[in-house]
Amino acid sequence: MTIVNMNKINIVGLDSIKTELIKRIMDLGVVEISSQDFKLTDPEWNSYVKKDGNENEVFNLDVKISQVSEVLNSLEKYDTSKRPLFNTRKPVSSAEFIKALEKNDSVSENVNRVLGLNKSLSELCSEGNKIEAAILSLKPWIKYPIPLDMTETKYTSVIIGAVPSIADINELKSKLFRTTERCYMDVVDSDKDQYYCSFICLTEEKEDILELLKQYGFSPVTFKDLRGTAEENIMLYENSLKEISAKKETVDKDITELVSFKEEIQLYHDHLVIERDKNKVLSSMLKTDTTFYIEGWVPEACKDSVQKVLDQYQCWYDFKKPEEGENFPVLLKNSAFAEPFESITELYSLPATSNIDPTAVMAPFYVLFFGMMLGDVGYGVMFALGCYIILKKFDIEGTFGRMLKVFFWGGISTIFWGVMYGSWFGDGLVVGARHLFNINLPITYVWVDPLKEPMVVLIVSFVMGLVHLFVGMGMSAYMSIRDGHLADALMDVGLWYLFILGPIFWLAGDMIIPGSVLPVIGKWVTIASAIGLVLTQGRAKVGIINKLISGVLALYGITGYLGDVLSYSRLLALGLATGVISSVLSLIGSMGSGIAGAILYVLVFVFGHILNFAINGLGSFVHSARLQYVEFFGKFYEGGGDAFAPFTKKTKYIKIKEEI
Amino acid sequence: MEFTMGGFLAILGAANASMAGIGSAWGVAIAGMAAGGVIAEDPKKFGPTLMLQALPGTQGIYGLLIAFIIMNKIGVLGGSIAPLTTAQGLMFLAASLPAGITGTISAVWQGKVAATGVQLVGKRPEEIAKAMVYAAMVETYAVLALLASFLMVNGIQV
Repeated sequence: MTIVNMNKINIVGLDSIKTELIKRIMDLGVVEISSQDFKLTDPEWNSYVKKDGNENEVFNLDVKISQVSEVLNSLEKYDTSKRPLFNTRKPVSSAEFIKALEKNDSVSENVNRVLGLNKSLSELCSEGNKIEAAILSLKPWIKYPIPLDMTETKYTSVIIGAVPSIADINELKSKLFRTTERCYMDVVDSDKDQYYCSFICLTEEKEDILELLKQYGFSPVTFKDLRGTAEENIMLYENSLKEISAKKETVDKDITELVSFKEEIQLYHDHLVIERDKNKVLSSMLKTDTTFYIEGWVPEACKDSVQKVLDQYQCWYDFKKPEEGENFPVLLKNSAFAEPFESITELYSLPATSNIDPTAVMAPFYVLFFGMMLGDVGYGVMFALGCYIILKKFDIEGTFGRMLKVFFWGGISTIFWGVMYGSWFGDGLVVGARHLFNINLPITYVWVDPLKEPMVVLIVSFVMGLVHLFVGMGMSAYMSIRDGHLADALMDVGLWYLFILGPIFWLAGDMIIPGSVLPVIGKWVTIASAIGLVLTQGRAKVGIINKLISGVLALYGITGYLGDVLSYSRLLALGLATGVISSVLSLIGSMGSGIAGAILYVLVFVFGHILNFAINGLGSFVHSARLQYVEFFGKFYEGGGDAFAPFTKKTKYIKIKEEI
Repeated sequence: MEFTMGGFLAILGAANASMAGIGSAWGVAIAGMAAGGVIAEDPKKFGPTLMLQALPGTQGIYGLLIAFIIMNKIGVLGGSIAPLTTAQGLMFLAASLPAGITGTISAVWQGKVAATGVQLVGKRPEEIAKAMVYAAMVETYAVLALLASFLMVNGIQV
């Protein structure tokens, strides 16, 4: 439950070992190398050093990586083998990795082949599109019997073109023949937009006729470079379309054959990424003519292994603890149970370096609240079993894997609360057994039925909320004491504890232990703590009057605590929502009778509970996170830390296991 | 079945509670419209945006829940309505108000918050949890209203 202690490390070494050392540091994967750009403007430094870096190489590798990614994407499309449900990184030993890299030349040849094939595929596609467009423009002229390239004879001219369909074609015809008798006109075809017409006329009258046609919106059409009739041309085009699709098929087949090299190419991709990162990190380093300088952070626990490597390469180095108030990268360390809950902390924000890692304290509350809000054995089993199976079958890393573990524990807690509430798919199992098989299942609640006695659960919810809040305030007190401010802890947390508990005993003491002195104690504790708060809460202000005014106003803060506690009523309310929806499902399901009734029940049961599970599972996740983020973290937590990002192999497809 | 004012008012209460669905439909629609825009850019974000879109849907469920409890209590579901006095009917109607009104209005506003959450996920998919918590902040009041309605309905003697 701690923020890992970091040491600042400075390394100076000779240029000759630089590449080798970077590789070793990357293998270790425990050093964060921070950028040193600000030193370049520092007069103490900038006369000695200049920025290292190899941007050209980084750029070249980036280009290659994007090419390989493109290849992998296109191979993915052709890969017909069954894909796993989740993508996981394949474990590879470093010896295997090095051996596989020997084949790099043939792999990069394959990459180029796929790239070439992709290119010819896209060329074929665009060619096909072009031809299809040409066919489309020829289609209206399919009945036109004259070769398209014949536009004139010795004395006559041939005109073809389109007239919009809004024009009156008969009027055009009669007007044309009134102008001249030595003209032939034919409407070849028409569609809803245009008439497609051809005219044969004397060349000497061509201009006049065109003039007339223009009045009807005639636009001439010419087919350049085409010989023969439209029909012949369409046939030619269709043949070449067939050829293109045959060619496409062979290209497709060629690519499909290369799918078997996918794993090699993935390995190559990761190799390129590693090389790129090795070159990229140079730009965070400084250099002189013969030496290099690295500055970064190392977790204290990993100091020795780093030291060993640096000694081996005869570097100069020193480790320094961070100075007071200096920010360092944040790495959390938790027990195996709490570790997955770091993802919940991370979703809020990593702790500031002066703060505390809340994960271990938060985790049990998260699990408890999640279970209470879902509160059903059936749904709990679905969560726990589902997550367990996925985690067993796949090696899922990162936030998603951790989330699955969180949901696994949430599921266990949900089962617990389901037993407490007597909720097995709500009353679905009981009603189902009675309705379908006429059996009375002896399922009942262990603690309380929240539908019948909601007030009991409500009070327990408030008590749990109070405990949660007090733990949060306790964390704040712990930090004050840790930093040597015992008085702050007593005044800001201790007095508030009393001022919250006092009124509770004053008002409800008689209900807790009837006839006891609790209310009297509560009354005096309330008065004493109120006086204490008035006297202490304004201590930062100047002047007696200001101090007292701030102190009195601080008492108003009790409403904040009241609101916080009431917020935990959602523990009951969301649990009720799950239960009531389940009973509604049972009610709807058992409306029929006989075979049809049984089918109805099963259908309503399956689909209804899947829906209820999904929507209430989502609700439980969000609302238990909210209780942590708003109510709990609000009492002590300060986020804003930067995650520790060690220089390591950020591979996508393989996981390289180091032999130690 | 005899018509009584009490019975009518109680059923009116159940109807009022379930009308929180108006708000949910509205809120889900607002979030859904925003989600459509994000999906146009990146179809892979369907899952996270769908989760955000679903959030304002709960008020409708809470309303239905209260409606069912009222119906169950007055015996509509069993087929024979209990003889209710006008006062009892009015009490059911009053008890349904938090679920109906708070539910409707909070769902619309939650939809708006969810829509901005969808935009957030469009730009920074890793921040989905924050978007969901923002939307859940609005839902708190629907949860409180559900609880108020539930406790009130539960307390009415029939």
